Amino acid sequence: MSSAALRTVNLGKRYGRVVAVDDLCLEVAAGEVFGFLGPNGAGKSTTIRMLLGQARPTAGRAWVFDTDAADVARAHRRLAYVPADVALWPQLTGAEILHLQASTGPGIDPSYRAELVERFALDPSKPARTYSSGNRQKVALVAAFATRAPLLVLDEPTSGLDPLMEREFRAAVAQARERGQTVFLSSHQLAEVEAVCDRVAILRAGRLAEIAAIDQLRGLHRTEVTVSYTGAPPSGLDTVPGVDSVEQVGAGRLRFSLIGAPAPALRALAAAEVTALAVREASLEEIFLDYYGTPESR
Amino acid sequence: MSAGRPANPATAVTGVAVRQVRRGGLLVVGLCAGLPALVAATYTRVMADPAAAGSIGRLAANPAIRTLFGEPVALDRAGGFTVWRVGTFIAVLLAAWAILATTRITRGEEDAGRWALLLAGRVTLRATVARHLAAVMIVPVAAGAAVTSVLLLSGTEPAGAVVHGAGLGVLGLFFVAAAGLAAQVFPARATATGTAVAVLGAGLLARMVGDGLTELGWLRWLTPFGLLALSEPYGRNRVLPLLLLLAAAAVVTGAALAAAGRRDAGGGLVAGPAGRRPRLSSLTSVEAFAARRLLRPLTGWALGVGAYYLLIGFTTRSVTGFLADNPALAGQAARAGFAGLDAVEGFAATLFALLAVPVGGFVAVRLSAFVAAENSRHLTLLTAQPISRLRLLAAELAATVGGALALVTVAGVAVWAGLAATGGRLGLPAALAGAWNTLPIVLLSLGAAVLATGWAPRAAALAGSLPATGGFLLLVIAESAGAPRWVRQLSPFAHLAPVPLTAVAWAATLIMTTLAVALVAAGAAGYRRRDLQG
Repeated sequence: MSSAALRTVNLGKRYGRVVAVDDLCLEVAAGEVFGFLGPNGAGKSTTIRMLLGQARPTAGRAWVFDTDAADVARAHRRLAYVPADVALWPQLTGAEILHLQASTGPGIDPSYRAELVERFALDPSKPARTYSSGNRQKVALVAAFATRAPLLVLDEPTSGLDPLMEREFRAAVAQARERGQTVFLSSHQLAEVEAVCDRVAILRAGRLAEIAAIDQLRGLHRTEVTVSYTGAPPSGLDTVPGVDSVEQVGAGRLRFSLIGAPAPALRALAAAEVTALAVREASLEEIFLDYYGTPESR
Repeated sequence: MSAGRPANPATAVTGVAVRQVRRGGLLVVGLCAGLPALVAATYTRVMADPAAAGSIGRLAANPAIRTLFGEPVALDRAGGFTVWRVGTFIAVLLAAWAILATTRITRGEEDAGRWALLLAGRVTLRATVARHLAAVMIVPVAAGAAVTSVLLLSGTEPAGAVVHGAGLGVLGLFFVAAAGLAAQVFPARATATGTAVAVLGAGLLARMVGDGLTELGWLRWLTPFGLLALSEPYGRNRVLPLLLLLAAAAVVTGAALAAAGRRDAGGGLVAGPAGRRPRLSSLTSVEAFAARRLLRPLTGWALGVGAYYLLIGFTTRSVTGFLADNPALAGQAARAGFAGLDAVEGFAATLFALLAVPVGGFVAVRLSAFVAAENSRHLTLLTAQPISRLRLLAAELAATVGGALALVTVAGVAVWAGLAATGGRLGLPAALAGAWNTLPIVLLSLGAAVLATGWAPRAAALAGSLPATGGFLLLVIAESAGAPRWVRQLSPFAHLAPVPLTAVAWAATLIMTTLAVALVAAGAAGYRRRDLQG
């Protein structure tokens, strides 16, 4: 028995000869905000569908708080879900859908739901057929955040939201974290994942490419260092392990990239008269592009 | 066309439209051509009795017969007999298909958001609608041509064959146009379909009333089915009613295109309400929600079924009395497949058996709507709730079975009320027994539809309509063609006792019900295991 909110062991899904997800082993601890990244078609949504029991794995198993994910009547008592492309019953109004979700779901906090409707500026009196895709997403988000389910599974929940609503979304995730809810967030918005997630998993062609805390992930990747100096330029940087692409960017300014621990590079710089040192860590976007952007990595 | 030139975008739109109707269209054309071919081929056998010709005039004079089966014209000829026997059935079949296909590929596709990409191209909304309507219109034209060819090949008079085929084709065009207009006016597929089906039902009812009551005969000039009857194929072969119907179809098509030119993509001429107070009482559980989704379509079905069986109740006494006074005619009716029509119980039993066809269709439509909700991802949020797949399916099945039971009961009560109003004698329990007797076939339809939902969801509607509609057609065709006994026995209708004329055939009822339960169980097992679509 583990205390993981979500756990998969050797999870796999094939559609005929196409392998959508292969040998996926994940463990999301209770209380953490977990990012799930990958390019289109990497198998993120298929994984989520298996976690929700909507698709049957062809290999391995998945658990939601130690309940088999296929036992949806029990497993779903502890989760709430926002799908990637929200489709709502066109004849029901927003309020009716929220009521249906509340009365069939794991239980909600009505006053918090009212607050969320207010914060997301949702008009719940309209029939769903008149909602834009952003508004449909808001309905699903309000329904999910209003539950007290210990696990929130969010599949690209903000793709249709404007920047104001994006801010409300981040606030809602932060509040969920404060309450101890676990958030499993699949997203393309790397800035958002960077802002809210503790750990991320990166999926490539159905396989797990990387799983790490965001800080740790940065450590694995290049950091950009810019040095300003007077007098002679620092020498011997080229031979320091981890230092790469040293270039002179102006008079008395030098830029290089660094992978791994900075100590050897700092020792090499100590000999020069350094007047300023700027260190910029790679953004998640750069890390992401490192994984997928170059042809050989695909 | 040179290799580098892009294809004409309008042609591409037509291609999309044709691809969506070709399979169903071929089936409909096949049925429209096959049924008259069979009936015309068996005409000489049925009408071998030389006394038959003499009694036909009397048959035609009875208002009740005219109400139910249409005005018989030229029954003494193979062509006229064929038109009387299957003409109305084919007309309704063609009209119903035309409506469903039209709203499906126009408003349905637009509703599902699939037109957004199409309309972003160079083709306007109006042209897109025009090309989709034209694609559906190919089918009634082909069906009419097929009927004419079949009747000509059967050796019937050319004029009658042309008038009947043309009439069916034009009727089909009218309903494509009507459904097309409804799809422009209303912003939801269900409303558009419902409106067009209501036009069909009202048109059929107006023809029946016009046929039955001489003083209201003018009503027939106002309805497509009446105009079809007024063309009198193999009788007077009148062209004027068909020209009127064609003109009406042209006007309605023009109105549909004009409406398409004036509205927004995704909207209708009539805007839906911008907002309303929530109705929450029926949204407390999946079971209650399933019942709520059923309520509106069920009301439409109940109105249609109720009106038809009320009419049957009204006419039963007149028909049975007339047939009892004309034993020769009753015998002839028996040979044509309507036995025991000279007693109220027998007449009612014969028409109650028909009830399984619409109610079986209702069940198939409901299950295919359930599959459609899964495909369009409307069900996704519910499947993420703590609700097992079996409970989700069971809620839908409970609502559907409840709806079917309600429909069957409405038919029983309607016949009883109609008979009671005209002074006939048939107790309410007997009428209800006759109506409920068809339930095993309805359950078989449900079983077949659930089996498909579990293992081949795309086939739910087709599978669900096999036991009732398919079984009924099989029996009619087998009887007309004199097929071997075992072929007839394949149809569930062959095992239905004529209740209330005789007692319920409990053994057959039990076997059919058990089979239905087994089909439901097998389907549920598949549904529990399979991946959800969408």
